[in-house]
Amino acid sequence: MSQADDAFVHHESIFEKPPLSLRNVHIMYKSRKGAVNAVRGVDLDLRAGESLSLIGESGSGKTTLGLGIVRLLVKTAKVTQGEIIYRRDGLEMDVGQLDAQQLREFRWRECSMVFQSALNSFNPVLRIWNQMYDTAKAHGWSDRRAVREHVLNLLRFVQLDAERVIDAYPHELSGGMRQRVLIAMSLLLDPQVLILDEPTTALDILTQRTIIDLLRRLKDEQRLTMLFISHDLAIAAELADRIATMYAGKIVEIGSADDIFYRPRHPYTLGLIRAVPKVIGEFEDLVSILGSPPDLVDLPSGCKFHPRCPFATERCRREEPDLEQVGQDHAAACWHWQAVEEEVADHPLHQSLPAQTIVYSGE
Amino acid sequence: MMAHIELQNVSRAFGKEQERVLAVDGVSLTIEKGEIRCLVGESGCGKSTTGKMIAGLLPPSGGRILFDGKPIDRLNKEEYRAYRHAVQIIHQDPYASLNPVQTVKQIITTPLLRHRKVSGSQQAYRRALELLEIVDLTPAADFLDKYPHQLSGGQRQRVSVARALTVDPKFIVADEAVSMVDVSIRVSLLNMLMRLKNEFDVTFLFITHDLALAKYFAWEGAISVMYLGRVVEDGPTPRVITDPRHPYTQALLAAVPEADPELTHRKRRIALRSADIPSLLNLPPGCTFHPRCPYFVEGECDVSAPPLEAISEGGRVACPVRKDEHVSLLIPS
Repeated sequence: MSQADDAFVHHESIFEKPPLSLRNVHIMYKSRKGAVNAVRGVDLDLRAGESLSLIGESGSGKTTLGLGIVRLLVKTAKVTQGEIIYRRDGLEMDVGQLDAQQLREFRWRECSMVFQSALNSFNPVLRIWNQMYDTAKAHGWSDRRAVREHVLNLLRFVQLDAERVIDAYPHELSGGMRQRVLIAMSLLLDPQVLILDEPTTALDILTQRTIIDLLRRLKDEQRLTMLFISHDLAIAAELADRIATMYAGKIVEIGSADDIFYRPRHPYTLGLIRAVPKVIGEFEDLVSILGSPPDLVDLPSGCKFHPRCPFATERCRREEPDLEQVGQDHAAACWHWQAVEEEVADHPLHQSLPAQTIVYSGE
Repeated sequence: MMAHIELQNVSRAFGKEQERVLAVDGVSLTIEKGEIRCLVGESGCGKSTTGKMIAGLLPPSGGRILFDGKPIDRLNKEEYRAYRHAVQIIHQDPYASLNPVQTVKQIITTPLLRHRKVSGSQQAYRRALELLEIVDLTPAADFLDKYPHQLSGGQRQRVSVARALTVDPKFIVADEAVSMVDVSIRVSLLNMLMRLKNEFDVTFLFITHDLALAKYFAWEGAISVMYLGRVVEDGPTPRVITDPRHPYTQALLAAVPEADPELTHRKRRIALRSADIPSLLNLPPGCTFHPRCPYFVEGECDVSAPPLEAISEGGRVACPVRKDEHVSLLIPS
């Protein structure tokens, strides 16, 4: 082992180990058409205090992966291979081995999840307070007054009119309010990790902004470790420290938000960025990715992106590439990542920010 | 020149008595032939209702809609039929708007035959192939025998467009037509629609909540911003996007996250006085944005609804307080 390697190991031991590590995770669904390979060998470390965003289109496996981590997959789906390791305070557990009771504890105290459709996450006949209190009680916290105080604080943190909302029924709240209540609820037992599946999808623009700002505060002030699942690149640009691009059940690129947005090395990431319009600035030409997302029952050979990829060669049709280091803390699974690098150098991805042509006229 | 579509003080109410809501409240706008007009706003602003009224799927409860200069409620039978053919609507959800038990061939040939656009099934078949090619479903023959469930969302939406094209429309209302389609293929759908505009001279009303899409699709056209049933600002797209004047337009543009970390973190935040959108059942007096507006002037904004007034840079703004003020949405670096 070289000196440099020694230093690396030494470094690792000072810093916290990642709270969540996925090792070669495979998830399969049974369907009438055959086995659906929703997640195919995902390795991922969620580092302490970071927010990591999983991006990709529908069918890329990102939601399945999120559900797999908290073991909320539907009955027809199964983690067929791999390990999900969770760590806290130097202790380590394999999420796959937890029994029902341990799993309940895990889901709220360690790793909680906020789902996409806020209304379905509530029991419609329970007031917010009863819902929260039931959860607290189930986890052995029965001091009614203390729980209520805690819940009120959480509701205030998510900028709700706490006194009113705590005794409301879910249907009395707007979509944005419900989403905020859900986030408050997910924090009830002070989890270490928060998984958010499309947390702002289906919300109106101004409501979406309040949720984004709230999540930003969670990240900056509470240093919560967060995994965002979103098809919306803009949410990732807003909130992610690191971004992982998923395609056909695999992570095809992972790196810092800046690496992904300004120095993408996988053609799919590049394609996504070129396909998304921005609001600010002059007109920009956009380019679609060819073809359609792949059929997960009948995946293409080799690199699963090759039928849609402008860089594809014979090798891509035969062999599926693994993630390869393409920069510091940046990896991509593409035989031709250097060609992508040249392409990005020749045709920069973002127009330079508009100059201040308009004089700002005060608040 | 006579406007292709003109709305004169159009309103639409739903419900009765206490439950009555005014989904569209006195909207006046004109759309010229060959124009692309975007209608943007949040849910409940009345943009879809306006689109449905233009397409003849909902009668207005007040005001008039003119098609090529004629009020649509005064058209004779023949003229009305021509209008309904000329104006087609493409809905948001391609999973719900196609008959699941019909093949693509049936979906396309049925209206062709029903409206005598072709004579006989042989010609209908050939026209169906042509239409599928126009919407980039190629090779077209591969798609004819497919059922909607065998197609992806993007492909279904193309079939919806091909179906709309069977009656040679002059005006297409696209209501959130690409919202449910994956990001990577959205642009190709938009580009295909844009080609229809250029090659077949189709006029578009593009309804969306997504300002970035509106900007992309209607850069050479115009945008109308709706809030709680009223148009609060309109004008040429580049002006509305780069120099918005109505505080609501500014708030929307500032709130949209951008797919570029540096850009999105440099955007100005516009703090609203209230996060909650008022209920249509209980609208505030005066400018309906006043309870949220950071520039609220007591005794002015809460008294009477401000009219849309023209500004010299193009378009109209319903805010006498701020219509001549520029606001930059970027924080200087």
